[in-house]
Amino acid sequence: MDSLYQFAWLIPTLPLLGAMVLGIGLISYGKLTTQLRSLSAIFIVSLIGASMVLSFGLLWSQIQGHEAFTLYIDWASAGDFHLAMGYTIDHLAALMLVIVTTVAFLVMIYTDGYMAHDPGYVRFYAYLSLFSSSMLGLVISPNLVQVYVFWELVGMCSYLLIGFWYDRKAAADACQKAFVANRVGDFGLLLGILALYWATGSFEFNVVGERLHELVELGSLSGALAGFFAILVFLGPVAKSAQFPLHVWLPDAMEGPTPISALIHAATMVAAGVFLLARMFPMFEALPTATDIVAWTGAFTAFMGASIAITQNDIKKGLAYSTMSQLGYMVMAMGAGAYGAGLFHLMTHAYFKAMLFLCSGSVIHGMEEVVGHNPVYAQDMRLMGGLRKYMPVTAFTFLVGTLAICGIPPFAGFWSKDEILGSTFQTSPALWAVGFITAGITAFYMFRMYFMTFEGEFRGKDETVKQQLKTEQLQGMGLAFGPGAMNPKELTADYPAEDEAHDDHDHHHSDEPHESPISMTLPLMVLAIPSVLVGLVGTPFGNYFEAFIHPPGEVVEAVTGLGISPEFEWGEFLTMAGSSVGIGLIGITLAVLMYLRKQIDPAAIAERIQPLYQLSLNKWYIDDIYEVAFIKGSRRLAKQVLEVDIRIVDGLVNLAGFVTLVTGEGLKYLENGRAQFYALIVFGAVLGLVLVSGIT
Amino acid sequence: MNLATFPWLTTVILLPIAASLLVPFIPDKDGKTVRWYALIVGLIDFAILIYAFYTQYDPSLSGMQLVESYTWLPMLDLRWSVGADGLSMPLILLTSFITTLATLASWPVTLKPRLFYFLLLAMYGGQIAVFAVQDMLLFFLVWELELLPVYLLLSIWGGKKRLYAATKFILYTAGGSLFILLAALAMAFYGDTVSFDMQTLMAKDFPIKFQLFAYAGFLIAYAVKLPIFPLHTWLPDAHGEATAPVHMLLAGILLKMGGYALIRMNVEMLPDAHVYFAPILVILGVVNIIYAALTSFAQRNLKRKIAYSSISHMGFVLIGIASYTNLGLSGAVLQMVSHGLIGASLFFLVGATYDRTHTLILDEMGGVGRKMPKIFAMFTTCSLASLALPGMSGFIAELMVFVGFATSPAYDLTFKVIMVSLAAVGVILTPIYLLSMLREIFYGPENKELVEHEVLVDAEPREVFIIASLVIPIIGIGLYPKLLTQLYDAKTTQVTEKLQASFELANVETLPATEAAEVSLLPTEPLQAPAISHL
Repeated sequence: MDSLYQFAWLIPTLPLLGAMVLGIGLISYGKLTTQLRSLSAIFIVSLIGASMVLSFGLLWSQIQGHEAFTLYIDWASAGDFHLAMGYTIDHLAALMLVIVTTVAFLVMIYTDGYMAHDPGYVRFYAYLSLFSSSMLGLVISPNLVQVYVFWELVGMCSYLLIGFWYDRKAAADACQKAFVANRVGDFGLLLGILALYWATGSFEFNVVGERLHELVELGSLSGALAGFFAILVFLGPVAKSAQFPLHVWLPDAMEGPTPISALIHAATMVAAGVFLLARMFPMFEALPTATDIVAWTGAFTAFMGASIAITQNDIKKGLAYSTMSQLGYMVMAMGAGAYGAGLFHLMTHAYFKAMLFLCSGSVIHGMEEVVGHNPVYAQDMRLMGGLRKYMPVTAFTFLVGTLAICGIPPFAGFWSKDEILGSTFQTSPALWAVGFITAGITAFYMFRMYFMTFEGEFRGKDETVKQQLKTEQLQGMGLAFGPGAMNPKELTADYPAEDEAHDDHDHHHSDEPHESPISMTLPLMVLAIPSVLVGLVGTPFGNYFEAFIHPPGEVVEAVTGLGISPEFEWGEFLTMAGSSVGIGLIGITLAVLMYLRKQIDPAAIAERIQPLYQLSLNKWYIDDIYEVAFIKGSRRLAKQVLEVDIRIVDGLVNLAGFVTLVTGEGLKYLENGRAQFYALIVFGAVLGLVLVSGIT
Repeated sequence: MNLATFPWLTTVILLPIAASLLVPFIPDKDGKTVRWYALIVGLIDFAILIYAFYTQYDPSLSGMQLVESYTWLPMLDLRWSVGADGLSMPLILLTSFITTLATLASWPVTLKPRLFYFLLLAMYGGQIAVFAVQDMLLFFLVWELELLPVYLLLSIWGGKKRLYAATKFILYTAGGSLFILLAALAMAFYGDTVSFDMQTLMAKDFPIKFQLFAYAGFLIAYAVKLPIFPLHTWLPDAHGEATAPVHMLLAGILLKMGGYALIRMNVEMLPDAHVYFAPILVILGVVNIIYAALTSFAQRNLKRKIAYSSISHMGFVLIGIASYTNLGLSGAVLQMVSHGLIGASLFFLVGATYDRTHTLILDEMGGVGRKMPKIFAMFTTCSLASLALPGMSGFIAELMVFVGFATSPAYDLTFKVIMVSLAAVGVILTPIYLLSMLREIFYGPENKELVEHEVLVDAEPREVFIIASLVIPIIGIGLYPKLLTQLYDAKTTQVTEKLQASFELANVETLPATEAAEVSLLPTEPLQAPAISHL
């Protein structure tokens, strides 16, 4: 089996190779490469397929009990400083490899259908492959610096993919916002890494944790300082995993094509934050202040995301806030010390959320046939409805995903969410309460989404709704967001140009949407399987998952057979599970009454709780606050600095030059020969300098 | 011919200069022969350099190699003395590489091609000479001679305000270099022997006050060149007016002269004064990073934007030089080479974009990505390299400077925390202005006026080739930094040892209490001695 480990570096390298081949092809033989669509797609998909097979091999070998494998090469050195890069394959890495490769593989198959009419088809595959490579590199990183390297690289891929349709203004703003927000987090992460290195002299996860403990215990480092370092590191996951207050980029990131929303902004990259928290778990474990902050950030984000998701009408934005909320659960679990539970939810969420996003893509694909290639119409749930009739596979898989995320047994989400809630209850009932309420809201908004999209009458031809959307859109554009100057011309020039941009697409508008092609529905059906079943590996009465994934240094006894582990208590389990299923059912019932049976009018409720409704609809006004505080502020500051530079700094130096010139003119009349005079001054000055220093 | 004693560096310096003298005799009607001539000379020179580097240069040694020394003017003790060590070799290679590419980038120059290529070739040799000469007087001479071609290249082929920019450039740099002469003369005449030889000067033992004066003199000159706030204002003007190939030289090589000379003279010859000046350098470095990043963000002119970004990046060089660690110094050298490549590529792309849009004002651009996908892709790649994306050379350079400074034994904790945090703000600011720039040029709906009035053709193979030549080493160094660091590791180790010795000396013996407080140079024990991770 060892040869498998020797070649594990191929897992990230193969997709990188694919991306490079396509990239070089595009830049040197652009026209030809763009035409070789199916060849490029097959090439890329088979490379990630090979990575997937390798990953499964490694996971299997790890399950069989192979010890962790690490390989280093000396990467950078200066004198006695050496920085090594390499890879490490342990339980966590093997699991993450399998999650990433499977989702990436399926998303790439799906892409063939979704992007079929896009002129950037090949470029999209190149980006996808580059992303997969970076993400795989991230999960096998053996030390903090390498994590930081790939952390930034996945951010770059995310930037490129969000801005994939670069002629859309919204996409252009969103990709920049994503990168900058992530850089703010990276700023903290970088400082954290530097601080930890300063304190412990190491970049390695376990060594950093151990030495930090020693230092705190010895008293040579104050606990507060260590906690502060941990918070700095935590800023990285805050940005990457879209936690408050750096979550603002994730909903906007939905401007990218849907396959990447599924792959990057639901299943893999956004989970990298949770992954890093898991890797740094030995450090966080013993810093209670830091873990409290982590847990409460997660809990707050979970609640906030869910509360915003209730009022979203854009199907992808709704799912984005839901992702944010679910990531909040994972971060909360990590903060509450529920290592296994957090990662378990990461796994189940990766599958069911990727599926939900791909379903939304399938819906959008179908809607585009009716309303045209305008994201404002094609993604708005007010124009959908009754799609189950036209798209049975999509509707069925979306329902599976919805049930999974709502935590209905035996779907995957039930087991993982229940485990998180159960473990947080033991550490802090207050945290549990937030998670518990959020679970109810989650069930409500997910079923609202399902009913608005798939049940009732199809509203795609409703002109009044369209008109309303158009007005909303024009109003919203005044609030466009993103650093950089707003050019008023963009407002008027934007949308006509955008329609043109997609003129090269097929024009057969039909009256009703159709089910997507098999290349899109097949991945949905495949993803439905883990969405239902994968939770069974981590049931409380036979937790194979936790036996496999547990914090380093913690001993967990192996699960033997299907026997119920000794400390398992039915009573406790039934109360916890019962209550969380209960609140889920309440949410679902409300959704049924409001959106399926229409017995309660949502608009009336919105009227009655107007402030709360507005708070949710306007995303807690956080974008607006940032716009004023940071974006306008930084722009103003930059302008002022430039003014200072031009007027004062440059002016002073120019003035000095002017004075010299004037005096020079004066001197000209005093002196006959300039050159001699200068030489004299130089000589005098040198003499003076030598004399002065010689005497003293 | 004995290969070991063949005057390699002299050949490399004099070949382009001699070739430039032949330019007037080249039969050339439409200006197309002379550009091939210049390119071939550049390539030959580059090839000779590479050959000499591979066969005659041993990177594991810290001392001078390829040394040649001929008496020139005995009564002035002026010697033609050249040599290369780990500090100058990477920069000499960079110079030859960038200048050759700049020749290729000058293809579209149609105004007075003979004069243009004459100046370009003259610069080729002159620039290498700056990094290679080992005699202070000679150094001053080539430093000055270097200005002349730049002045002409700016004032004849520049933009609208070219005369103002060129004059400002020459006044600033010439004014600054007066201080080099002053300090050099003082150092040469100090003591019993009169010598301009750098190695001899390095061995001389100057008293601390003398060192401080000389250090300040050098610092002013190199602060103009690098540039360091507040002596940077010539740079946006000069860079804003220069044409693309000149631009590549200015950003790719000329700025590096400042950093190189700072290490060669201030650090190596005046290590005792460096103890006092280092904290100032760190502060100036941080000011450079933040101040220039903000001005770059507010700039609406593309060339000036990139020009300010160069200033910002040079801040890391300063911090690295002042870090007192091998890692930091190594990062500073790496940052110089890396910025040489990245800056040159960005400025070339700005030129290529300007050739098509005929405007540098960002508000007049927009949405050109669809018409010029290749330029878009290359611009994105180089911008990402400039914002220190991992996998490219800028990242590892900045990381080394950060880690080097953070682990520096020379500063107390508070100072380090404040400076590292402020410098890291640059990590946030850089993507803001670079990505805004990309967005305003390429993203969004097409700018109707621009599309109608200008012919927006995509990059031609020559342009792709130039960028590929620059990006390959950027990524190569980024993926495996040892490629470059091993060239100079021995040298930086030696310099750092010397520095740390004089730092300890300064702290043990003479530092008066008041001054110690003033410069906040209290040594602190790191929590654990940096017995740096045996990974």
